[in-house]
Amino acid sequence: MKRRDFLKAGSASLAASVVAGSGLISWAPRAQAATINKTFFITDGYQNQITGDNVYFRGFSSSNNVVNVPGESIVAQEGDTLNITITNTLSSTHRFVIDGVVNSGDIRPGRTVTVSFTPTQAGTYMYYDNSNAPYNRLLGLHGGFAVMPAGSDNQLFAGSQNTFVQQQFWIFHDIDPVWHNTLANGNTPNTAYEPRFFTLNGLGGRPPGAPGAHDPNIDAMTDPRSAVHGHIGDRTLLRSLNAGKCDQSLHCHGNHMEWLSANGEIRPDVWKKDCIYLDKNNGIVDVIFPFETPPDAYPPVSTGIYPMHLHSEMSQTAGGGFYMFGSLTDIYFE
Amino acid sequence: MMFSNIEEKFAVKSGRNGGGGGGGGMDGGGGMGGSCYVYPDSPTTPDIVTPDVTYNRGIYMNGSMTMDDGNSVTIWGFTDGGGGGGMDGGGAFPSPAMRVTQGQIVHTNLNVQGMMWNHTIHHHGIEPADHSDGVGHITWDVDGQYTYQWRPMHPGTYFYHCHTNTVLHAEMGMYGALIVDPPEGPGTLISGKVTYDSEAFWVVDEIDSSWHTLPWDAGSCGADVGLNVLNPDYFIITGVDASGSSAMNLPPISGQMRVGEKLLARYVCAGYHPQHIRIPAELNATAYISDGRILPTPIAMTDFRAHSAERYDMILAPTTPGDYVIEFDIIDWITGEVHGTARTNVVVSA
Repeated sequence: MKRRDFLKAGSASLAASVVAGSGLISWAPRAQAATINKTFFITDGYQNQITGDNVYFRGFSSSNNVVNVPGESIVAQEGDTLNITITNTLSSTHRFVIDGVVNSGDIRPGRTVTVSFTPTQAGTYMYYDNSNAPYNRLLGLHGGFAVMPAGSDNQLFAGSQNTFVQQQFWIFHDIDPVWHNTLANGNTPNTAYEPRFFTLNGLGGRPPGAPGAHDPNIDAMTDPRSAVHGHIGDRTLLRSLNAGKCDQSLHCHGNHMEWLSANGEIRPDVWKKDCIYLDKNNGIVDVIFPFETPPDAYPPVSTGIYPMHLHSEMSQTAGGGFYMFGSLTDIYFE
Repeated sequence: MMFSNIEEKFAVKSGRNGGGGGGGGMDGGGGMGGSCYVYPDSPTTPDIVTPDVTYNRGIYMNGSMTMDDGNSVTIWGFTDGGGGGGMDGGGAFPSPAMRVTQGQIVHTNLNVQGMMWNHTIHHHGIEPADHSDGVGHITWDVDGQYTYQWRPMHPGTYFYHCHTNTVLHAEMGMYGALIVDPPEGPGTLISGKVTYDSEAFWVVDEIDSSWHTLPWDAGSCGADVGLNVLNPDYFIITGVDASGSSAMNLPPISGQMRVGEKLLARYVCAGYHPQHIRIPAELNATAYISDGRILPTPIAMTDFRAHSAERYDMILAPTTPGDYVIEFDIIDWITGEVHGTARTNVVVSA
């Protein structure tokens, strides 16, 4: 079973879980707007952590017998029509919201709602549940949404000089299991928020030799949604979102990042940074990892492996220890 | 000259207490067999050549820093010279600075007592081959002698730090400044364009003293040692307790300049919590470089924030004499509340 598709509560006897896709709904630049249909099931379940703790989550899931945290990413194009159908399998009320774009309103238990909308502004967004805020988002009801400029396959926004050849989502999260399991019991947390797990696209790192190391379904360093692979010149747009409650510092080794946007605003200048402030509570930055020859190597090299990690180093831990089991991945110059 | 002994000036000596501090260091011994997910090795550096500059760095695990309240906090760091170190009673904090010129081939020779503990050096913001990047899980954690080979190509302010059990080792103080000068050398920030007359070093960090009794491999096998919660009780600038007045009028942390001169302030967010920085407008601070890269458009800096490991190189060009206080609030990464404030000053005379 894929950890990122962990089974919903009470359905552990089901033989198979549905395998999520690569994280991107297939997308290619089009001259004509298209219609994109997507179905989510709001589900819940428990995910076993490296420490042995079982932690409760809710997700926008690809079927009614898995829990996807985050939900599958969606990439659309300006002018497309999106029809998102959400079935709420839980006994609590939820929503599907993209700030400034769409709001499903309350989806009551057992109900199915379809929202239709046409995004007009290229960029990176989070879809999430803003009901009982911030708890439903923290429990895992969030995912990435991107709008490409009409007719462009290599720009964050029309006219951007900083083009890319591939793109990925990095969705960061921090988890206080006391809060999650309090919410699972229908109660409201009354303790100070104390995150003990930190994830990238729903997974923590697993350093070499650790249980699950090199398993793309368990190890954030290996997960193809998170790890970045490229040759020199394979400029990669990394749509970086923070679903958690901790301010983070996004840090890459190997190359400086080209910093294109913060929280929906295009930066007036493109700075090249090795650390970028990623705000808590739905913060978003768009950066390009340029896959240039690492500038300070002597003699020059064109291959190698470098980490991406958050530099607020508490984020690199799990359960108060386990350095390297937090929010990090690897970047491969191939 | 003003810059000739900047390495010595930068590193504020920590106390030497081979007694108590040594005891703390011994707790870190690897003999307990408690370390996991470290990758000890000390191979020969691939493609090694004769360097232009060599830095030798050893390890100390038994330093200490005395705070304004009289309490002493265990500090770890890198020694200059790369000798045995470790047991001889501490060293400088921050660790001795490295100062190189753009284009020089540099060797950093790290000497670790590998039977006791493992460490690396990561030259933060420098982007060398991966075998010289100092990241244990990708290459190795040094258990003897290893040479990092690199050639910095972008002037600016960097820092180097240990990347083994980084969450703990960087908090314990295992970092030092790394300055890359353009070809003109000290006194020039951007070749042919931006010069300065003097420098100040604002390496702003927070310390949670409850972490500073842990062994080097704490938590690495999964024990809950609290490394997810940094609750700082001291706020320091470049190794000096800066909550009160200790970092005031203390070059090279504070600045002393005349109207008409230019001071280069090299700011490093060396902590793990975000920082909120306030520079009086009268100091006319302008950032030209951040993270070792020239900004397309220089920007005025009066009230800004930064997060872990960000750097700003700012030219201060005041026109009015005065004693100006710069404040660095350390902001909780979750609540946004101010844990504490570090302060230094720039004194401008006519």
